[in-house]
Amino acid sequence: MKQILHIFAKDARRFWGEIFLSVAITAAFALFYPQQWVGPDHIHSVMGNHGTVGYQLVIAGGLLLVLVPVSWWLLITRVVQAESLVGDLQFWLTRPYEWPKLLAGKLLFLLAFLYVPFFVAQCALLAETGFNPTAYVPNLLYNLLLLTGIIVLPLFAVATVTSNFARMTLTLLGVFLGILALELAVQPFMPHHTTGIEDTSLTAEGLLIVGIIGLCLSGVVVVLQYRLRRAVLSRVLLFGIPVLLILCMPLSARLEQQHTRGRIEANYPASSIPPVQFAYRPIDPDLRQIDVFPDNSDVIIHTPLEGTGVAPGTVLIPDAVKLEVEAPNGFRWASDWQDTNAPKFYAGAEGSYAAVAMPRAIYEQLKTTPLTIRVTFALTQAKATSVSQVALPRHDFSVSGFGVCAPLTGSYSPFFGATGLICRSVLRDPPLTYIGVVWSDAPCNIPHSESNPGVQGAGWIGTLDRAPADPNISPVQQVNFNLTNGYKSGGGGGSRYLCPGSPVIFTQYERIGRTQAGVTIHDFHLPILTTHEYSGAITSSSTGQNQ
Amino acid sequence: MTNAIRTENLTRKFGRTVAIDSLNLAVPEGAIYALVGANGAGKTTVIKVLMNIFGPTGGRAQVLGIESRRLAGKAFERIGYVSENQEMPDWMTIGAMLDYFRSFYPQWDRTLEQQLVRQFDLPLNRKLKHLSRGMKMKAAFASSLAYRPSLIILDEPFSGLDPLVRDELIEGLIERAPETTIFLSSHDLAEIESFSSHVGYLEQGRLLFSEEMSVLATRFRDVTVTLETPQPLPSDLPSTWLQPQLADRVIHFIHSGYQDRASEIELAILFPTARDITCDPMPLRQIFLAVAKSGRLRTSSQQDHINAEGTAA
Repeated sequence: MKQILHIFAKDARRFWGEIFLSVAITAAFALFYPQQWVGPDHIHSVMGNHGTVGYQLVIAGGLLLVLVPVSWWLLITRVVQAESLVGDLQFWLTRPYEWPKLLAGKLLFLLAFLYVPFFVAQCALLAETGFNPTAYVPNLLYNLLLLTGIIVLPLFAVATVTSNFARMTLTLLGVFLGILALELAVQPFMPHHTTGIEDTSLTAEGLLIVGIIGLCLSGVVVVLQYRLRRAVLSRVLLFGIPVLLILCMPLSARLEQQHTRGRIEANYPASSIPPVQFAYRPIDPDLRQIDVFPDNSDVIIHTPLEGTGVAPGTVLIPDAVKLEVEAPNGFRWASDWQDTNAPKFYAGAEGSYAAVAMPRAIYEQLKTTPLTIRVTFALTQAKATSVSQVALPRHDFSVSGFGVCAPLTGSYSPFFGATGLICRSVLRDPPLTYIGVVWSDAPCNIPHSESNPGVQGAGWIGTLDRAPADPNISPVQQVNFNLTNGYKSGGGGGSRYLCPGSPVIFTQYERIGRTQAGVTIHDFHLPILTTHEYSGAITSSSTGQNQ
Repeated sequence: MTNAIRTENLTRKFGRTVAIDSLNLAVPEGAIYALVGANGAGKTTVIKVLMNIFGPTGGRAQVLGIESRRLAGKAFERIGYVSENQEMPDWMTIGAMLDYFRSFYPQWDRTLEQQLVRQFDLPLNRKLKHLSRGMKMKAAFASSLAYRPSLIILDEPFSGLDPLVRDELIEGLIERAPETTIFLSSHDLAEIESFSSHVGYLEQGRLLFSEEMSVLATRFRDVTVTLETPQPLPSDLPSTWLQPQLADRVIHFIHSGYQDRASEIELAILFPTARDITCDPMPLRQIFLAVAKSGRLRTSSQQDHINAEGTAA
C-alpha cells in the first residue's frame, strides 16, 4: 500500500496542472451544461436576461460535454506514460516497482482525479435537474462502469502501448480512420435488413456488450503490459481483435439472422385470441408504397394496415415483421423476420403499415400478378401500470417514475422550434409512457371560450427496456418529442398552444408478454415502381382484399 | 565462490540480427567485472537482458540467483543500475528524486546518501533536466549506491564525461567495492584497467575471453624477436600469436597465451638463431586493440575465403 500511495503522490505532484485542468473542465461542465436544457427554469432565464451571453453559455455547455472526455484522454495518457511501458530506457524498469502496485497507483490516481470529480459533477447535475442523486447511485455507478469499458479503459490500454502523447494521439487518429475504412469496406457485405429484436447495436444490451468487450480486451492488454511489457503482442491484441470483429460483422449478422428466426418463433407465440385485428387499408395514392435499395437488389414494400380491437390500457409494439406471398401459379416466397419501425397499435391509434424488403428479382416476377399475401408482426404487449395527471405548471415539474418535464410554449423553445413538452430523465430514456395533452388554438393570454374544449394531443416516449443507464457523460437525458395535433389544419395555420393549467396525463407501461398476429390479404397487387431512384420512388396505390 | 551473474548459452536476436550469441559468462561475487568490446558488440544488450529489460531469445541468465526473466519488483532492491542513456525523472529535483527512491528501498542508508551527495557535490534543489550530463550521472550514481546494493550494473557509465567526473565516480565505486559486485560495460579501457578485477571481451555478440585481469595481463605479451640473419616466418605459427609481422630481421607479434617458462622454451625452439627476444607486458588498451584487430582480420579472411569459394563455384 505504501508503494501505491507513494506513486500516487508523485503523480499528483507532477500532474497538478493536468489535474487542475480536468477538474476545472468537469466543474464547468456541471455548472454550464444545464444551460443546454430547455424550459422556463433554464434557457429562458438566461436568454431573456443576457441575450448573446446566454447563447454562448449554451454553446459552452455543449462544448464541455466533449471536453470532459478530452480532459480524460490527457489525464490518462500523462499518468500512464509517466512510467512508460514502451521502450527500454525508463528509470523505473530497474527500480523495485511491483507491477500490481504501479497499476494500482495509476488506478488510484484516476479514481481520485477522474472518477470522483466526475461522479460529484453527475450528482450536481441530477440535483440541478430536480432528481435526488442518492436515489440514482446504482445507475450512476453502472454508467461509470460502461464509460470505463467504452472510454477510460480503452484510452488506458492505448496509453500503455504508446510511448508519448503525440504517438497516442496519432494512434487514436489512425484507429478512428481505420475503423471508419473497415466499416465502409464491410458495408457491401452486410445483409440489407436485420431483425429488430436482435439488432442490439444501439440497445442497452448492445451497449453493455460493447462495454464488456471494451473492459475485457483493454483489461487484458493493460495487465499484459504491466506484467510483461510485451508491446507488440499487446498492440496486436488491442487493434487486431477489433479489426477481426469488424471484418466478421457480415458473417455474424447473417448467423444472427438465422438464429433469430428460431428465437422469434419461440419467444413470440401466436395467440388463439389475437390481441389485435388487422385490416388492409388502401393508402392515400400520394404516399410512398415502395422503395428501392441503392444497389437495386431489394425493394421495400409498404403495406398499409389498420389495427383494431386492442384492449384499452394496452399497447402492441411491433418488433419484427414477416411477409409471405403466394401467386396463383403456386409460387411462394417468404421473407425472413425483418426489423420494423411500424407505429404502435393501441385503442384510438391511427393507421400503421408493414414495410418488408423483397428481392428485386422476386418483385419483378410477381409485380403484375394478383397475390395472396400474409403479413405477420412479432409484437410486444405492454400494459398501463400507472396514470398521473397534472395541471400544466408554468415551471419544471416532476412526474414520479418518469422524470422532470417543462412546458414549451412560444419563447421557451427557441432551439427546437416546437411547442409542447420537453422532459428530462436520468441516464437514459424514461419508461415507455403515453402522454396526453389538450392544445389550445388561441394564445394562452387570451381568455378561452367554454364552448371550445381544445384539441387532444398525444405522444409516446421512452422504452420498455429497463437497463440502469446508457453510457453518458451527462447523467440527464433531455428527450424531445412531438405531440400530435400541435399544428392547426395540417401545419399551415401555425402552432397550437399548451397553456398553464391544462391537463397533462402520463400513462406508464410495462411489458406483459410477446405474441404474433397477422393478416391475410387476397388479390393483392404489388405497388408499381415508376422510378429506380431510391429516394423518389413513388407509385400508384396497390390493391387487395382483407380476409 | 558463487557467481553474482551467470549466463548459459544466452542468445538474443533482433529479427535476423544476432546481438548475443551463446554467451557463457560467470561473474564471481565481489568482482569488478568489465565487459569490453567495440561499439555494437552487444554489451548493452547483455546488460538489458540481465536486467530483464529484454527477454533472452535462447539460453538463460541468472542474476543474484534469480532467473533474469523473473527479475522484477523487490529483486531490484539489491541491484543498482546506471546507464549512460537512461531516462531519469527529469522534472524532479535531485532531492525529490532521492526522497522518491528512498521509500522503495528498505535498506536505504540516509548517512551514505548524505555522504554521496557531499562527495559528488550534488545540488539537491536543482531539477535533473537542468543538470549537466556529468552531474546527472553523479545523481544517478548516488541514487543507485545509497541503498548498498549487492550488485551494481553500469552500462557505459563514463562515456562522454570529463576526467574529473570520471575520477569522482570511480572513487565512489571503489569505496563500495568491498561490499558489492560491480559489472560494467565500457570501451574506456584506461579507466577500467585501474580498478577492474575481471574482464570479458565481447565481439559481435560472442565472448572471446573472460578472465581475471591479473591472468590476462600475464597471458598477453608484446613479443619482439631479433634474428641474427633474416629468415621467413614459420608457416605453422601457433594460433595464440596475433598479428605476426616480419621486418628485415625483426619479428613482432602479440602472444595471447604466454606462460613464462613454456613460452620462452617455445620461442627458443622456433627461433634458434635469435639474437634477442623481449616479452613485454601489455596495457589493457593494447590487448583490446590486438584482439579486436585480429578478430576483424579473421572475419575478413573468412569472408575472402567464402568469396573465393563462391567464385570457384
